[in-house]
Amino acid sequence: MQNLKKYFLVSIASLAFVSCSSDDDNPAANNVTLEFNNTFKNNTIVLGNAASASATANTSAAGQVHHFSELKYVISNIRLIKDNGDEVPYNVNDLDKGAAVIDQAKTTTLSYVLSNVPSAAYKQIKFGLGIKAEQNTLDQVRFPNFYAAAGANDTEMMWEWGSGYRFTKVEGFYDTDNKAMSIHTGSTVEGTAPNYTQGVNAYRDITLNLTTNAVVGSKAPKIKIEADFDKLLSGKTNTITLSTGTGMDNNATPNIHTAAQMVKFVDNLGGNGSSDITGIFSVTGVEN
Amino acid sequence: MQKIIGLLLLSLLSWSCSNDDSDMVLIDNPEIAFNIPSGFPELNAFFSQNKPTKYGVELGGKLFSEKRFSADNTISCSTCHIQVNAFTDHNAQAIGIEGRVGLRNTPSIQNLAFMKFYNWDGSKLQLETQPLVPIITHEEMDSSILEVIGKIKDDAPYKELFRKAFGDENITPERIYKSIAQFEYTLISANSKYDKVKRNEQSFTAGELQGCQTFEQKCASCHTTELFTDQSFRNIGFPINTNTSEAGRGRVTGGASDFMSFRVPTLRNIEYTAPYGSFGQFADLKSVLDYFDKGVLDAENLDPVFKDNDRRIPLTEEEKNNLIAFMKTLSDHDFLGN
Repeated sequence: MQNLKKYFLVSIASLAFVSCSSDDDNPAANNVTLEFNNTFKNNTIVLGNAASASATANTSAAGQVHHFSELKYVISNIRLIKDNGDEVPYNVNDLDKGAAVIDQAKTTTLSYVLSNVPSAAYKQIKFGLGIKAEQNTLDQVRFPNFYAAAGANDTEMMWEWGSGYRFTKVEGFYDTDNKAMSIHTGSTVEGTAPNYTQGVNAYRDITLNLTTNAVVGSKAPKIKIEADFDKLLSGKTNTITLSTGTGMDNNATPNIHTAAQMVKFVDNLGGNGSSDITGIFSVTGVEN
Repeated sequence: MQKIIGLLLLSLLSWSCSNDDSDMVLIDNPEIAFNIPSGFPELNAFFSQNKPTKYGVELGGKLFSEKRFSADNTISCSTCHIQVNAFTDHNAQAIGIEGRVGLRNTPSIQNLAFMKFYNWDGSKLQLETQPLVPIITHEEMDSSILEVIGKIKDDAPYKELFRKAFGDENITPERIYKSIAQFEYTLISANSKYDKVKRNEQSFTAGELQGCQTFEQKCASCHTTELFTDQSFRNIGFPINTNTSEAGRGRVTGGASDFMSFRVPTLRNIEYTAPYGSFGQFADLKSVLDYFDKGVLDAENLDPVFKDNDRRIPLTEEEKNNLIAFMKTLSDHDFLGN
């Protein structure tokens, strides 16, 4: 026991050493703000109910006019890439500190502040649309804050039956008779990557080049990210025509959870992981 | 620096050693004897990671009947999963708190240790991952696991059972899931008249025997093995649940071939699990058989059993009656507790 105490003291001391030295090694850090602008092409989206005159209307490649009443998505697994190629992960294993629900109805959620980012010049940002399977378990004990934010009554970003989070939730209306559209995406995978036992992996990794280096140091830069929801229906991968009904090809209502239909929306939103790694996202500017 | 890291590691090592010693509490919590009935398929792969123990099962059984699992303390697992009905109920679709109606018919809970898939759509492959779903689902208990733990954590009987089952009084989500699964693993039905006939302890009546023969001919390609399901997913053209959240196994796999496909249900204790179908489309067994005889709905992915046979299973009235007599021999009154 005497020995144990000694070891314990030494280990405490060594921890103190490590943190001291890391303070010395680390240069200053600062905040980086990610500012999300959700648009149809270049027009910032205004939400509205079925009869709304102020809601931003958009027309898809297939000729269907549509507008949204609700628009939410989850980002996580944020990484900044330095000019020299080094990758700086931002709380990638902690949904409470490194993931967010972007909600068009809540202005504060449109700016996500990354704190204590090491000073450097950054040329690229990567993030996930959705949540990686290993963290997508509705673990209220590990990530109570994210669980609460996603599960709140006005957020509804939980997919109970799949024990996971919704990655995207878009509610709205389409065609001139304002039929309901309800596009929910989320993963249904079981087992572990990359050889899932079953299900659909709706997580997509996004890579965006910055328009100019974001220089973190004495200043806290802002990265402006546009999410163009015109591509939801008229994407790089799929041109989607909405249809209402209970058949296998009907895709406008939540049964798109179900069929191969959901993947078409997922690929348009977050890219297909190969030829498209940006999906609906692009960087429109960096304010240093 | 290396030396410091070495010492640090060493200290961590001795730390965990001493932990083990001090935590050694002598509680007699033996694994319970688990007899696999003859002819049953192999155990679910996850079973070996959570073998039922004496107090794990006792705790799981208590939690199974715990109404504080629901937001308003009105509904427990056993509210819908009732033993005399082979752990289902008689509602067409499950009913949760405040009378909220769920998407599907409550499945029976029996012989789950031998199942590869859980739920109508096979969304879960591991029983321990299932209990969270009803706890958080709006149409079921509409609570959260920490809300549940908050309600029960100061109960002396729970503290004692958690200690006996897991070594200390900590109530964690994992321990709740594991103990409920352990309880469910022990719910084995294998002592029906059918089983007794197989063991040469009883014999079928003439009608049951004829029903058995018709069954072998016309039903056993899907309702096979001693579980009376081949655990496949099939679209058999039943009346469709028009709820837009429903697509059968298609909502799990995304595959068009799985659209409106559901797991072939077990037929054990089928006499007590009415109504039938994924959302309780059929009030009794006779109406299911009538439907098969008359012809099922067509679909692109309709199962070949129907697609290749004019979408029907022709049955005479006598065959139907005998089939029902045979299916009733699958009732296990020890299991049902009556």
